[in-house]
Amino acid sequence: MSKLLIVDDEADIREFAKHFFQKRGIDVVIASGGQEALDLIALSNPDLTLLDVRMGDMTGVDVLKKLRDAGNQSKVIMVTGVEDPVIVKQIQELGVCGYVHKPLALDELEHVVMKELKELKG
Amino acid sequence: MRINLFSILAFISFLISATVFFIVLQNRKSNLHNQWLRFIFAAAFWEFSAFQIGISQTGDRALFWWKIAHVGIIFLAIFLFHVVYEFCGLKKKRILFFIYAQGFFFLFFNFFTNFFLSGTRYVFSSFYYGTLGPFYHPFMIIWLLIVFYSHIELFMSYEKFQGVRRTQLKYFIASNLVGFSGGLTNFLPAYGIDIFPFYGCFSTALYCAIFTYAILKHRIMDIRLAITRTGIFILVYSFVLGIPFAMAFGLQKYLTAFFGPTWWIVPLITSTLLGTAGPFIYFFIQRKAEDTLLRDQKRYQTTLKQASAGMTRIKDLKKLLNMIVYILARTVNITHAFLYLYDAKSRDYALEATRGERASKESYYLNKKSSLISYLERVRAPIVFEEIRQQSQDYDSDELKDVQNELIMLGAAVAVPIFTEKRLLAIGILGKKKSGAMYTQDDLIVFSILANQVALAIENAQFYEESKQTQEQLFQAEKMATIGTMADGLSHQINNRLHTLGFIAGDALDTIKLSKEVQNPDKFQEILAEISKALVKIQDNVRQGGEIVQGLLRYTRKGEEGFGDVVLDKLVDEVIEMAQFKIKKEYVSIVKDYAQDQPLIRGNFTQLQEVLFNIIDNAYDAIMQKKSEMGDDHFMGKIKISTRQTEKFLEVSLLDNGMGVKDEDQIKLFTPFFTTKFFNKKGTGLGLYVIKKIVEDNHQGEVFISSEYKVGTLFVIRLPMGKQ
Repeated sequence: MSKLLIVDDEADIREFAKHFFQKRGIDVVIASGGQEALDLIALSNPDLTLLDVRMGDMTGVDVLKKLRDAGNQSKVIMVTGVEDPVIVKQIQELGVCGYVHKPLALDELEHVVMKELKELKG
Repeated sequence: MRINLFSILAFISFLISATVFFIVLQNRKSNLHNQWLRFIFAAAFWEFSAFQIGISQTGDRALFWWKIAHVGIIFLAIFLFHVVYEFCGLKKKRILFFIYAQGFFFLFFNFFTNFFLSGTRYVFSSFYYGTLGPFYHPFMIIWLLIVFYSHIELFMSYEKFQGVRRTQLKYFIASNLVGFSGGLTNFLPAYGIDIFPFYGCFSTALYCAIFTYAILKHRIMDIRLAITRTGIFILVYSFVLGIPFAMAFGLQKYLTAFFGPTWWIVPLITSTLLGTAGPFIYFFIQRKAEDTLLRDQKRYQTTLKQASAGMTRIKDLKKLLNMIVYILARTVNITHAFLYLYDAKSRDYALEATRGERASKESYYLNKKSSLISYLERVRAPIVFEEIRQQSQDYDSDELKDVQNELIMLGAAVAVPIFTEKRLLAIGILGKKKSGAMYTQDDLIVFSILANQVALAIENAQFYEESKQTQEQLFQAEKMATIGTMADGLSHQINNRLHTLGFIAGDALDTIKLSKEVQNPDKFQEILAEISKALVKIQDNVRQGGEIVQGLLRYTRKGEEGFGDVVLDKLVDEVIEMAQFKIKKEYVSIVKDYAQDQPLIRGNFTQLQEVLFNIIDNAYDAIMQKKSEMGDDHFMGKIKISTRQTEKFLEVSLLDNGMGVKDEDQIKLFTPFFTTKFFNKKGTGLGLYVIKKIVEDNHQGEVFISSEYKVGTLFVIRLPMGKQ
């Protein structure tokens, strides 16, 4: 069973995204902030992380940086909103398998997530 | 040649008349002036002949000059009638013809027979007076009739005339009284009544001078005033000169008895003392007399002067203009007063304030290029309708006729231009006085003074209004800049709402899709619950999104909702919410260090929101600057909001532990466009200036700032309390 980590400070997002992917037989873990995400990645080593850029305590970019600094090259999909092109560039340099733009519909996200997970299995 | 009193007086009169003659000759413009010129010529002719009579050494020579003199005397009456004829605009050609004809008739008898003047006799032991033949008596009667008839015509025209013409008429009648009452005394010795025609010698010259003044000068003094002034002058100086003379001649005996040969010192000292005191007495009595005569006029002139001084204090332009017309209409007691103000947009003069009778639609605007405006720009002084009418007739000027017509359209008796330096700023239009009285020279002087004050006051009010507008623009600009700093956070918030909505809807749809084959009613209930939960969440998110938008709108709209009671805690919450679009909670904590139940503030919610937002925004920037300069990741910013209650104010303090401000910069903090924000490039330098304006000017509150570099800043605002 694939394991998906969803990192977002919006409770509604976490709840509904979790519900959605669980219905597809995916093991979903959730984190509401950057530090929690780092802890969870270290603990449960998810196959794919959906990482929101702007959050309360720490930005998604910071989380990604810390992850890469720690030598973790796991798959990350960045969820960007109204960010500067500078940040987008920074994200690309840090190495992500993709990024999606808010707002987006769940079925679009499903498509991206499923593609990545399939690739992983294949 | 013999010099006597008669010849001297006649010669002086002649000189006066000759001077007046040349003045009229230089200034004549109308037929009336021409006729008047002929009258003066006749008078001068008589006076010159009288001088010659006075110096004649033989009766024959005197008789010769008496016959010559009668040319003047005969024509004085004829020309008087002709002047009246012109002045009153009579259409009685036959009478005119008859009057000329009788003149030539008697002229013939005068020169060619002895029936008119029979000879001379020696009178007053000094000169020869004419004796009369039988034809002289009918001449005398007709002469008197012509003079009498002329006066009847004048009196009958009185009702017909208004304004300047009426005043001229009064002068005409007054000068007639002076002239002919004196002139008639010249006939007395001829009829054997030996009274020296002392006054008669002068009167004709005086006559010419008085009426010349009235018809050549456009602005004639009120005749009551003229007579009073002259009367007082004569009265005072007859005493000043008369008392020493009386002393010298009447009291010489007594004085010699007391003072011996140096008795003359007494009248000399008296005359010196009286001569010195004379002008003072004269002016004193004159002022008293005029105060009485012109009591009403003086009263409103004083009122106008006093009012004008207070005008510059009124800042509201509309109120000021209304007050000006009100004062004018009320104190001068006129039918109406209009005020036109230059309108830079239309480049015309627009009617801004009226009082009394309504303005017609055509007179809402005065074209800048109209004759009236050009004329006022040229003369730069109040103009009087009556004078313009008079002048336009006299000069036959098209421009003046246009001016006259425009004044008629406005119903204007007087138009007062209001200048600031070279620019015609405004025009005051005054209707007729309700009493029917004329505007006097003094009135116009007062209006000129008033116009200067009004110009100052209007400029003042305009400047104030402009600066108020500029300030409003400044406020708006600063607000927009604030929105700029908020835009990033705002769009993130709204975007997040949409994103969440998409997720919730997507999941619900997915649930519906997956449950199509479900038959189990329990399972079905579960799905329904899931979907309704999603819908509730959608509602929540929509509400949140709406609140964000409302918050933004509340802030951007001009603070027009006015003043009311503001709950501090609500205000702070709103501001914190706004600030959260920008402020990162992990770096800065905002602490509300006050009890919930604070007294209400009397203020404008939006404006106060802006004040607090600006202060918190500044504090945040200062904290971030300190964080970046210290290079300390763990540095935690803090903004503490606390309150204190004084007698009148609720004092709100905001303390931060940011970068603080250097001592040398503190003094400049409230200056517009001053900024120390290097960290945050978007500092407009308007924030603190706007805060100060809002708190101090709009709320009558107080702002204090105290800051220590690298330690932090304390902001204290004192706001008035509302009804509790």
